[in-house]
Amino acid sequence: MRFSFGLLMKFGLLRHLISLILGFIAENKFIVSKRCQQAYCDYPQRLMPTGDDTNTGECNAMEKQKSKIKSYGKLLIPMTLSMSLLLSACSGSGSPSEASQPEGASGGSGERVTLKLEVFDRGNAPSGMTISNNYLTNYVQDNFGTPNNIDMEFYPVPRSEETAKLNILMASANDVPDIVFTYDSGTFYRYASQGGLTEVGELLDEYGPNLKAFLGEDALAYGQIDGEQLAIPGRRLVLGKYASYVRQDWLDKLGLPVPTTTEQLYDTLVAFKEQDPGETGGRVIPLGMSVAPAQLDSLLWSFVEPISDEERITRTQKLGSSDYPVLLPGYKEGLRFLNKLYHEGLISKDFALDEDKKLLWQDVQNGLVGAYSEDAGELLFEYNGTYKNLQANSPGAVMTPIDPYVNAEGLSAKPGYAPNAMFIMIPKSSKRAVEAIKYLDWMASEDHLFFMQNGVEGENYTLVDGIPVANADASQDIKDRLYNYGDMAIIVNGKYMGDDEKNAEAYIRQVPEVYHDMMRTSVEISDTNKSAPIIMPVPIEAESRYGSALRAKLNEIIVKLTMSSPDTFDTTYDSLMNEYMAGGGQAILDERTKVYEDMMK
Amino acid sequence: MTEKQANRLFDLTNVVLITLAVIVCIAPFIHIIAISLSSSRAIMSGEVTLLPIEVTWEAYKRVFTDASMLRSLGFTMYLTVITTILSMIMTILAAYPLAKSSLRWKSLIMFFIVITMFFSGGMIPEYLLVRDLGLINTTWSLVLPNLISPFFLIILITFFKGIPDSLEEAADVDGSSHFRTLFSIVLPLSAPVMATLSLFYAVNRWNGFQDTLMYITNPNLYPLQLKLYQIVSNAQASDLLRSEGVGMFEIMPEGLKAASVIFATVPILLVYPWLQRYFVNGTMVGAVKG
Amino acid sequence: MRASIYYARYWRLYAMLVLPVLYFVIFKYGPMYGVQIAFKDFNFFQGIHGSEWIGLEAFREVFNNQEFYKTLRNTLMLNGLDLVISFPAPIILAIMLYELNINWFKRISQTILYIPHFISWVIIGGIVMQVFGTQSGMINNVLNGLGLDSIPFLTDKNSWLATYLATGVWQSAGWGTILYLAALTGINRELFEAAEIDGANRFRRIWHVSIPGIRMTIVTLLIIQLGNMISIGFERPYVIGNLAVRDFSDVLSTFVYRIGIESGQYTIATVVGLFQAVIGLIFLLAANTIAKKLNGEGII
Repeated sequence: MRFSFGLLMKFGLLRHLISLILGFIAENKFIVSKRCQQAYCDYPQRLMPTGDDTNTGECNAMEKQKSKIKSYGKLLIPMTLSMSLLLSACSGSGSPSEASQPEGASGGSGERVTLKLEVFDRGNAPSGMTISNNYLTNYVQDNFGTPNNIDMEFYPVPRSEETAKLNILMASANDVPDIVFTYDSGTFYRYASQGGLTEVGELLDEYGPNLKAFLGEDALAYGQIDGEQLAIPGRRLVLGKYASYVRQDWLDKLGLPVPTTTEQLYDTLVAFKEQDPGETGGRVIPLGMSVAPAQLDSLLWSFVEPISDEERITRTQKLGSSDYPVLLPGYKEGLRFLNKLYHEGLISKDFALDEDKKLLWQDVQNGLVGAYSEDAGELLFEYNGTYKNLQANSPGAVMTPIDPYVNAEGLSAKPGYAPNAMFIMIPKSSKRAVEAIKYLDWMASEDHLFFMQNGVEGENYTLVDGIPVANADASQDIKDRLYNYGDMAIIVNGKYMGDDEKNAEAYIRQVPEVYHDMMRTSVEISDTNKSAPIIMPVPIEAESRYGSALRAKLNEIIVKLTMSSPDTFDTTYDSLMNEYMAGGGQAILDERTKVYEDMMK
Repeated sequence: MTEKQANRLFDLTNVVLITLAVIVCIAPFIHIIAISLSSSRAIMSGEVTLLPIEVTWEAYKRVFTDASMLRSLGFTMYLTVITTILSMIMTILAAYPLAKSSLRWKSLIMFFIVITMFFSGGMIPEYLLVRDLGLINTTWSLVLPNLISPFFLIILITFFKGIPDSLEEAADVDGSSHFRTLFSIVLPLSAPVMATLSLFYAVNRWNGFQDTLMYITNPNLYPLQLKLYQIVSNAQASDLLRSEGVGMFEIMPEGLKAASVIFATVPILLVYPWLQRYFVNGTMVGAVKG
Repeated sequence: MRASIYYARYWRLYAMLVLPVLYFVIFKYGPMYGVQIAFKDFNFFQGIHGSEWIGLEAFREVFNNQEFYKTLRNTLMLNGLDLVISFPAPIILAIMLYELNINWFKRISQTILYIPHFISWVIIGGIVMQVFGTQSGMINNVLNGLGLDSIPFLTDKNSWLATYLATGVWQSAGWGTILYLAALTGINRELFEAAEIDGANRFRRIWHVSIPGIRMTIVTLLIIQLGNMISIGFERPYVIGNLAVRDFSDVLSTFVYRIGIESGQYTIATVVGLFQAVIGLIFLLAANTIAKKLNGEGII
């Protein structure tokens, strides 16, 4: 937004006061030109998957940027008394797309409009790019915006302050982008229940056939409330969450089998503790543990006893965005098992401190950890580097993916992801709902999504067995093009290749080639006996009210019961659960029961 | 024990204790420097304490070649200077009259100011105000809303009150105006507290980023601390990266994070040694009542 | 003095106040209509004016919430301990620094002592874990090496309090000295010389010259600190705290964060904020009154 005097004047109440302070505004003081790197601009105008001429693309937006004049305001502040101060201030300017003037409208008709899109800002823009002006935003502008006579304006929202910022934008009505999104179902329900979202069912039918086909009914259902389509959920491709790992070289040294049940795992951990096959000098941590769900869930969920659907639906508690089996039979025994592990020295004394898993990774890399559960294959990814570092630190170290936690039925039950990703919403105040749907539909059609996720063939990737594999030796400039594709390709979570098999394969091939087999096994384990989160026909109000407080409380319960003396375990459990129920657990249970009964009528 | 010996014992103990405190205070900083110079394997295995391991300058190369980092540094310096100057002017303008015992309605005005230390309208009305003034995405949105800190104002009033009235009255009798008194007597006598408050304002602005999260969406106006905050908070949200399917691309390596912290901290750390000359003992010999 | 004469003589003082007062009116009082959220069922899309009045319902909800009382108690407890431990620390340190005779050492140590203030809490949190951890923290490694048992610095409630206070002192004491040093600089050197001639030893000199010299600064900061007894920063308890010691580390700011930001219940968050503001103001006014009685001067 330009520093405009007129706008200033609109604020009637304070007009006179302000005009005392702010004298006049001058403009156009500096001309700032922006660097236009070659690699930054040379995407194809229309994508040609086989094309040799991928470098012939234009760089319209960037050319404009070069000559863009930034307006700098100059303020005179008269100090009512005998002095005055002359200051010059950078008043900046809003969006890069301001620069794109209407030009020979090639595609759309009528007035040129602006479509404002939220984009997550994670502060990791490579040198020479910004979150709202980079290779992908230019691709979107030139391939969707310009042909349809639309200016795309990208509105960065800091990832870590997402909800706070969205709330403020929503409350300020006219600043709010036309497309907003969140991963937090509570935020979506809140906006929906306060009547702030556009119902997009008909719009989808009319303008989003490709989008609808792409997302499928499964994912779309997560954006429906009482039959109204109030959000467009993105589609999640990889639904498995967790796998466990054990040090194969330790097993071999002790002549132990790969553990396949909880009891066997326990025996293995005890052997690790007593015989210290890693020669850690007593620093061994048989089971890596933290307070993150990735470490706790596989273990705790396997203790849940087989139950009826009714019980599962009514007694599950959704806190934040995940389901917790806290009230289900058997959960308490899972906690008792943790308590036992803790008191026998089989898990780290510091697990309660480790909320971001930093200590866990450190211990695994130093060869102190015998077994642990995690997001499937996390240790293999290059950005994580754990496996690589482990093998550098302790030569000969080998991890094997395992699936040891089994329930009473002998199944390794564990949670998985819901088939939806983020909730994409169009605020009711938006006048560009049609264009917004068109944009999402554009992304889902032809190979736009493929391009946004993979870039240019031969430069960013090579096709191997029909699956694009990133060129490891591509120059930094070329790699940087796609630096935030995950946040730009909002309709999908994971790389989309066309069918499930290829999607999974593409996921597996994101780790270095030597780990492909291990990654494949990890993904298989994460898919085994996984259960999708429960979907309720209406949002449970008590969950959005008490959810975040209860999640904190539940983590506290887990930690306290793990660390409490085994003698007082039961009494501690009772008193903590009383607090939990009084703090909203009962309210959620009651409401879910009622919704279930209504559903069954 | 003679008095001289006692004095020397006192000095010795004092030096030893302060040395200990100095070591405790600088160790974490050295640790961060060590991390910024170490290989990521060594960092992630937790091997780095006070000395860098497998020394590499890669992180600093990346920070110093990142145009947006340098631009942020420039903008932050500009912003800090502007804020500090304006804040100091406004604070002095308020503190001088409020330190005068002859000012009528003083308690009422003080009460009016103190109220704002406790009551605030909250984020939404504040955002709406800044928006309606047309300040969104301008430097002014980061300067004006926190122009005067009531806390610093009260401190300055306390110091002004400490200046003997006799000095000022003499000036008054001489027929000099309040402004002349302020400039020729009060401000020179208050050099140390002026330096202190300037430092406080500067550091607050330098380290603050919460307002930028709300008022700035133009990446050209990102102050350094916002970038730093995002770099650090990304690491906090590594779990999110995975479930949000964006973990595949590069996240900030630890070494780069540490180098960014050093890059963003050292410039403001250098301000104090420079200000120390205003703390020379005895600048106000005989001027201030005890 | 008659008003007309008074204002004729002193109008300049009021003129100086015009801009600062304007600032407070526009930027502080301007948005203050936001406190009415506490009495409304706030709806993002209706805005503050459009939302429905609910009277004191939200207050009832807050005052019926067990977590509110727990976090209130912890806030008062942590602030109370800080008042006893962290408040005097910079005063003592400043006097020690002032007593140093070696000029270069004085300058360098001052500069280093204030460095911790510039390290963000997130980073401090990581370092605290590495130093004080039970399993592999540096201190416990040393203890174990000496054949001693580990001390759960972070996971036992009472040890955690000590760690919390120590990190607070470490982070803020050096920074806090700056203001006291500025005050000490203002003390008349002749007073020190006179004390020396009287044969006062170092402690007596500190007690009779240095401390009285910075008394007003101490009193001012103390009054403000008392006004802040019920408000507490979010980061320090959040980062240094952990799930095992939530009985102590869960405070009003984390409580408000959970319900205000995470659950979007701005009404409840505003109620808590209003409660803190009223109590804080009362504390400050009370402290100010006492200071005036004892000292002759307060801040208002």
